[in-house]
Amino acid sequence: MISLASYLVISMILFAIGITVMIARKNIVAILLGIELILNAAALNFVAYSKFVTQNLDGHVFSLFIIVIAAAEAAVGLAIVIRFFQLKETIHIDEATQLRN
Amino acid sequence: MLEILKASLSVYLPEVVCILLMCFLLIAESMHEKEGTDRIKVYVLATAGLLLAGVFLVLNLSLAPTGAFYNAVVIDSFGTFAKLIMVAGTIGTIWMARQSGDIYTTMKSEFAILAVGTLVGGMLLASANNMLTLYLGIETLSILSYVMATLKRENSASTEAGMKYALYGGLTAGVMLFGMSHIYGMMGSIQFSEIVVKMGMLSGADQVFMMASFLMFFAGIGYKVSAFPFHMWSPDVYQGSPIPVTAFFAIVPKMAGLAVLIRISHLFFSEANGMSSAWIGLLHVVAALTMTVGNITAIGQDSVKRLLAFSSIGHVGMMIMGIVVLDAVGIRAILFYGVTYLFMTLVVFWVTSVLSDAYGTDSQAVFKGLIGRHPSMAIAMIIALFSLAGLPPLSGFVAKFNIISVVVEKGYFGLAFIAALNSVIGLYYYMKLAKEMVFSKSETTGDVPGFTDGVRVSIVALSVPIVLYGIFFGGLMTAAGNAVIFLK
Repeated sequence: MISLASYLVISMILFAIGITVMIARKNIVAILLGIELILNAAALNFVAYSKFVTQNLDGHVFSLFIIVIAAAEAAVGLAIVIRFFQLKETIHIDEATQLRN
Repeated sequence: MLEILKASLSVYLPEVVCILLMCFLLIAESMHEKEGTDRIKVYVLATAGLLLAGVFLVLNLSLAPTGAFYNAVVIDSFGTFAKLIMVAGTIGTIWMARQSGDIYTTMKSEFAILAVGTLVGGMLLASANNMLTLYLGIETLSILSYVMATLKRENSASTEAGMKYALYGGLTAGVMLFGMSHIYGMMGSIQFSEIVVKMGMLSGADQVFMMASFLMFFAGIGYKVSAFPFHMWSPDVYQGSPIPVTAFFAIVPKMAGLAVLIRISHLFFSEANGMSSAWIGLLHVVAALTMTVGNITAIGQDSVKRLLAFSSIGHVGMMIMGIVVLDAVGIRAILFYGVTYLFMTLVVFWVTSVLSDAYGTDSQAVFKGLIGRHPSMAIAMIIALFSLAGLPPLSGFVAKFNIISVVVEKGYFGLAFIAALNSVIGLYYYMKLAKEMVFSKSETTGDVPGFTDGVRVSIVALSVPIVLYGIFFGGLMTAAGNAVIFLK
């Protein structure tokens, strides 16, 4: 039997991996993937809580919205990354140094 | 069902007008025939639509607080006041974009369309009454903002600004959602009113867990208002984006974020208990650090856009002080501050926009000797700068005085002291810019081409309220004071 705790642990691990990816990876596309992992961790939480604790549909609806908005955000993010690549010919985050103190 | 929809739509008219306006602007742009010419129709349409939305908002001001769409959003006069500030800011920046050379001529109506869309997100955020609408509002605001920051797409600085904005935004939205999911799990609802009821019945251990979730929740909002630990994106994005976009970012997302922060603090933490004192403590630290970091880093910035970014971080810290006291007087002070900040920001950015178009840079050197060439513009700019610094008898002084006096009345002397110190630091770098305009010799002579008659009239007209609200602040203060009703 899969319990609530297992879902929460999985989502916690996903969240931690997402944060680690965002900090450690230098490839901008990989960083966007890290954002997706964090969002999915939250969506998983919502569904798990909805099933085991609250017994209402709010969590399911919320996770659907998260999926839709994550797609929109990824589309805009990737479009910006493409612009960045066309201008700088790299997608390495360390090349984004034009704006700083 | 139909009745509820009708009743909801009747109070939701301003947002509906803005959404329709966005569609009509898209049609107007696609019907524009001559490439590269001025799109006066788009501007007239945008202004008319936003003014109509403003009229509906003014009508909503006198409304008793009502929930709409099964209480997903709440229409109260506080949120409506914040929306009015946002609508005014949008109109101002759209006209600023018209003459700005920082946005490609072919993309000017895209600025208007995106700005109206972002405004809709901000309005949704300002009246959010459950976590789903709050998240939708923040994301509508953010996703369109990423596009706006990248509007100058052949320019690598603008692209970099948009990318940094998107990456920071995605991270904080994710962290916020993670916090929200735990709040939902603990409380069993995403509706604010139901969460409030259950929050009173939490045990000690649950309160600690809840507070951790609220901290994550704060990350998302703190990022939108650029509060201290989440402010790093703001100078980069402000510097890289085209100037009208920067001016827009300084007004609309900030007011929306502050509105939602005020609503959350007042709904969840107005009862005195362990959680509310923890939240107030958090806001204390955030306000003090936001002000200090913003103002200290602003010293020594040569790029005026970057300087204004840091100064706006400082102003946000000042406004958060008004939330710390958690009562109606604090909200009144913040709304007053918001109105004055709107006018000051528009004047300062408009003058900077024209000068940086003319010289191709936004370094402080372009301001040298402006008073000799365009006395009226230099005086308007100096008025706005002095008001930002908080010198009497300008409206910035009244706004700052209000906030500090509210904090002192509550007995938070330490915070008031830090705010006063910050005003002094702010005075230094605003004065330095004013000094450049008055006492430095200009390197070039002759008129700046961008200061056409229309632009000059607009800037002077925008600087009039800065002076007037400093002397006749009673009316605006009463209006802001009336706009503090909540639906619990």
